[in-house]
Amino acid sequence: MKVNNTQKELVFFGKITASTTHEIKNVLAIIQQSSGLLEDFLDMPDSDDFKHKDRFISTLDRIQTQIQRGIGITSNLNHFAHSPDNEKSHIDLNELIQQLSLLASRFAKLKKVSLSTKLNEIPLNVYANPVHLQMHIFNAIEIVLQHIEDGTLTLSLAQDKQIKLHLHHDLMTEDQLNDILSSEEWVLVQKDLCRMGIETGLGRIPKNSVF
Amino acid sequence: MKELKILLVDDEHEFVTTLAERLEIRNLSVSVAMDGETALGIVEKDLPQVIVLDVMMPGLNGLDVLERIKSIDKRIQVILLSGHGATKDGIKGLKLGAFDFLIKPIDIDELIIKINEGWNKYCESE
Repeated sequence: MKVNNTQKELVFFGKITASTTHEIKNVLAIIQQSSGLLEDFLDMPDSDDFKHKDRFISTLDRIQTQIQRGIGITSNLNHFAHSPDNEKSHIDLNELIQQLSLLASRFAKLKKVSLSTKLNEIPLNVYANPVHLQMHIFNAIEIVLQHIEDGTLTLSLAQDKQIKLHLHHDLMTEDQLNDILSSEEWVLVQKDLCRMGIETGLGRIPKNSVF
Repeated sequence: MKELKILLVDDEHEFVTTLAERLEIRNLSVSVAMDGETALGIVEKDLPQVIVLDVMMPGLNGLDVLERIKSIDKRIQVILLSGHGATKDGIKGLKLGAFDFLIKPIDIDELIIKINEGWNKYCESE
């Protein structure tokens, strides 16, 4: 009963969030077309007399860039909001990791860390609860971020006998690595992901690895 | 040769009027409707050859309007506009006879390419 209620609550949150992202996209679409219309006016032959034409063009370029950024963010949020639609579903980890790295990028930015992904060549599918899976992977990212600063944190996916998710930070020291590995939260997140069929690695990628 | 007449249907007034203005700058003949009923009235009166139709609208939704348009004139080419989470609606629309679908927000150049493709398809069916 408790599980059902939690699922209902997640679906409710997802539904409202998805609907809101749809509205935000409508706003972005109007801004996009309005700034596009201004560009059209500036493309007209008689616009050459306009004193600030170049400054307008460069400003409109910036607006268009930010619109694309906004579209990317809302698309990811929309995808994320649809996660609770099914209690369990087939999930492509390549897609999920890309989406999560974008959604977690703000948290990484606060630690001056860039997030990047290295995907498996072919889709890696798992059958799992999408909310739980994302939460565990996000937890793994968050635990690592608590211990590091600067540099790039790369999430790599590969499959040998089992699906492997490896978190590699280019500036991680031995001490930082040991701190994370010995933390209770890391052990827990590893167990959670292991239950979902995903082996988690951290630090340097071992020799002869499938990565 | 007939002149291409385009109908834009979307309940977002600012979106549809701005898009219409951009198409008119490119010398295209455009009319707009902000709901399904008005759109169907324009279809019966003016017979536009290409219609750009939003899927999610209050009242008659885009898919209902699409079916009604096709029952008025099968040759009319309909390009559906759907949101990111509504790809399923776009695919359903294709099954109902839509020419193509685009995900909002749309790029004007991409839309014009689709409109021209729809126009060519309309001309071939005459």
